[in-house]
Amino acid sequence: MHIMEGFLPWQWCAIWWIIAIPFLVMGVIELRSLMRKDREYLPLLGVCGAFIFILSALKLPSVTGSCSHPTGTGLSTTCFGVFITSIVGAIVLLFQALVLAHGGLSVLGANMCSMAIGGPVAGYIIYRLLKNTKVNIYVTVFIVAVVADLVTYIITSLELALAYPAQVGGIAASFTAFFAIFAITQIPLAIVEGCVLTLVFKYVIELKPEMIIKLKVFSEDQITKARGASDAIPSEVKS
Amino acid sequence: MIKNRKLELITLVAVLAFIIVFLSVSAEGTHEFAGSDTVGSGKIAELTGLSVDSFPPLIPQYVPPSGEVEATLFALQAAFGGVILGLVFGYWLGQRKISSHL
Repeated sequence: MHIMEGFLPWQWCAIWWIIAIPFLVMGVIELRSLMRKDREYLPLLGVCGAFIFILSALKLPSVTGSCSHPTGTGLSTTCFGVFITSIVGAIVLLFQALVLAHGGLSVLGANMCSMAIGGPVAGYIIYRLLKNTKVNIYVTVFIVAVVADLVTYIITSLELALAYPAQVGGIAASFTAFFAIFAITQIPLAIVEGCVLTLVFKYVIELKPEMIIKLKVFSEDQITKARGASDAIPSEVKS
Repeated sequence: MIKNRKLELITLVAVLAFIIVFLSVSAEGTHEFAGSDTVGSGKIAELTGLSVDSFPPLIPQYVPPSGEVEATLFALQAAFGGVILGLVFGYWLGQRKISSHL
C-alpha cells in the first residue's frame, strides 16, 4: 500500500501530513496516560504492535498476479482504539521508509493516513457498531481486521486518484484503476489476515481475559461467553 | 473437540485455500507477482505520460542495493515482531502458571 517516495506532488504530501499529525499527537497523549495507569497493558500493546510488524513485512502473492502485504492493524484497533494504533503504524512505516525505501519521508503522511489512520478508523467504526450487539466477539474482531486492511488500500487508491486524476473520467476513473491494482489484490489477503488476528485475539482472552475487560474492549459477559465456547479445549493450558 | 478448535480449523482452511489459489494462478505462468506498490507506480507513470524514472524522491532516501538486502531487512522486521510476540505470550503463560500454584 505504500505510495513510493517522489510519486506524490509536494502539495498532497503536505495535506496528508497535516491530516496525520493530530492523530499522532492524540496517540502520544493516550499512550502516556495508558502507561501511567497500568504498566500491565504494555505486553498487550507489544502483541498488537508485533502483529503490525510481522504482517506488514509479509508480501504475499494474490489472485491478481501481484504481491501485497496485510496491515495487521485490526487487533490494535480493537484493543486500544485509533490513536494508539496510529503511533504503532507510524513506527512501522517510518522503519520501512528509512531503511527499505518502501514509502518515504515526504509520502509518510499519506501512507500513515491510509495504513495507520484510515484503516483503523474504519475498523473502529465497525467495532463500535458491533460491540454491544449479539454478534459473536470473534466475528466482530474478524470483520474489524478485514475492514481495517481493505480500507487502507481503498484510501491509498483515493490518495493517488486525487493526485493523479485521469484525463478521461477524472478522479473516478483513476480511482477505479488504482482500486483494481490495490484493493482487489487485497481481498484474499484481508480474509486470511482476519482469520489470523481473530485466532490471536482468542489466545489473548484465554490467557488475559481480565485485561480485555479492564480496557472495556468487550463486556465481561461477552468474554465469559466466548471463553465458555472455547474453554473446554485447552485442558493442558487450563491446568 | 472439533467444535472447540473451530477457529483454528477455519484459519487453516483459509490459509490452505489461499495457497491453492496462489498455486493455480502461478501455474499459468502469465503473472510476474510484482509488488502492488510497483504496479501502482507504473500506473501513475501511465496516467501522467511520464516514465517511472522521472519521479525523483522529494527527500533523498536510502535504497537497499539489492533484493537480497531488502529481503534481509524485511526478515529482520518480521523477526522483531516474532520475538516480541513470543516474549509476551511466554510471559503470560508463566504468570498464569505461577498464579495457579498459589
